[in-house]
Amino acid sequence: MEIVSLNQISPDQVIIWSWGFITLNVTILYTWLVMAILLFISWLATRNLSSEMKVSRWQHFLEVIISVVRGEISEMTKKGADKYIPLIGTLFLFICTCNVLVIVPGFVAPTSSITTTASLALCVFIAVPYYGISHNGLFHYLKEYFQPNFIFFPFHVMGELARTLALTVRLFGNIMSHEKVIGILLSVTPLLFPVIMQALGLLIGVIQAYIFAILSMVYIASAVSAEEEHHVHVDVKKEGSQA
Amino acid sequence: MHIDWFVLFCQIFNFLLLVYLLKRFLYGRIIKAMDDREAKIAARFAEAEELKVKATEAAGLYEKRNQLLNEAKEKMLNEATMAADAKRKELMEQVRVEVDQVKARWQDMLVREHDAFFYDLRQRAAKQLYATARKALRDLADADLEDRIVDEFLRRVKALDEEKSIQIRKAISGGGNQVTIQSAFSVSGQRRAQIEDVLKTQITNGFTIRYLQQPDIVSGIELRVNGHKIAWSLNEYLEALVESMTETLQKEAHAA
Repeated sequence: MEIVSLNQISPDQVIIWSWGFITLNVTILYTWLVMAILLFISWLATRNLSSEMKVSRWQHFLEVIISVVRGEISEMTKKGADKYIPLIGTLFLFICTCNVLVIVPGFVAPTSSITTTASLALCVFIAVPYYGISHNGLFHYLKEYFQPNFIFFPFHVMGELARTLALTVRLFGNIMSHEKVIGILLSVTPLLFPVIMQALGLLIGVIQAYIFAILSMVYIASAVSAEEEHHVHVDVKKEGSQA
Repeated sequence: MHIDWFVLFCQIFNFLLLVYLLKRFLYGRIIKAMDDREAKIAARFAEAEELKVKATEAAGLYEKRNQLLNEAKEKMLNEATMAADAKRKELMEQVRVEVDQVKARWQDMLVREHDAFFYDLRQRAAKQLYATARKALRDLADADLEDRIVDEFLRRVKALDEEKSIQIRKAISGGGNQVTIQSAFSVSGQRRAQIEDVLKTQITNGFTIRYLQQPDIVSGIELRVNGHKIAWSLNEYLEALVESMTETLQKEAHAA
């Protein structure tokens, strides 16, 4: 069952329904499907939520994932991990679910569309200054763009854009290329070899989800902790001069 | 590569909607459940720690109480032992005293019985001796026993030495010049005159004599004056008899 043909780079090109500029393509459709699956699992896990020692399997499963995400965020931010869990956790869960469901025949991962990865990267691109400003204030956040001096401002802006682009292209390239490689392999060497590649694809998908989420957190954490590091650095220098 | 801006914004909206929904229905609840569980576990640990401390304190308290109880038990045991010993000693002493008293009473009674026996023996023996002697004297020597007794009495008065005579004389003058002669039998007038003559000759004049008949004086006669006495009776012989009999009885008692 081939929904996206080999010569179509992105599932965006497979349009199901359109009315004017309003377009319903495969990417949006499968995004809704993934959203529905995630919400269904959330409902399963939280319908009999328990804070006792004995919990349901779904709750246990999601608690493990959230604990890992929480731990990773805590390692980077040192405090206030819960504030970032909705964004980082959803990034990881959404991308991971999209990438893992590739194994289901007929499923097209929304992350193989550059539009999806770009939208996720744009969310991170907006989240970085949002958390940075909300944590350090507008002045201190903007001041970081002029460190160590104003000449570096364009480089900082370029860096922000570049890493957003890198996030977009990395995820899109990996998933899209994997799907294409599988498609090509199925036509060239059917049976066993594509299965191995599919298993490898699962691993790559999970790793990509992890990388996307971790990098997003690193960007946010750097924006949040930059001002703190600056303060600490200044304090250390003051203490050194006094000694 | 073409990017459809509608799809881009639609995906951004979809993602933000998913973030909101998951935050609303998943993260908030799950994190709250996890935090509640952690708080419960922490509370249980704290409670367990508190209970452990309390248990340790209680164990220490019970151990101390146990030790105190053991000490009290030991003390009470010692006191009870000492009290029992004291009571035993007291009872033993009491028993000993009672035994001594009983023994003393028994000995007293024995002595009294002994004395009564020998008194009775002496009386009976005296009477028997007296009757026997009188009969023997009458049968063999045609003599009266009373006369022989008076004779012996008079012989003893005559045999008084000078010092004794002076003492008796002084006693007579100190006693209102009255002398009492007691005898187990009635002294005849002739013998009374004889006695008076001998006394006046041997001791002094100027006194009166009063005669009394006393059956207790065992077959004898005695002169009593102000603490001095001149007498003869069977008592001397009877004393020897009693002494001999006592010795014999004691030997038999030891042999038994």
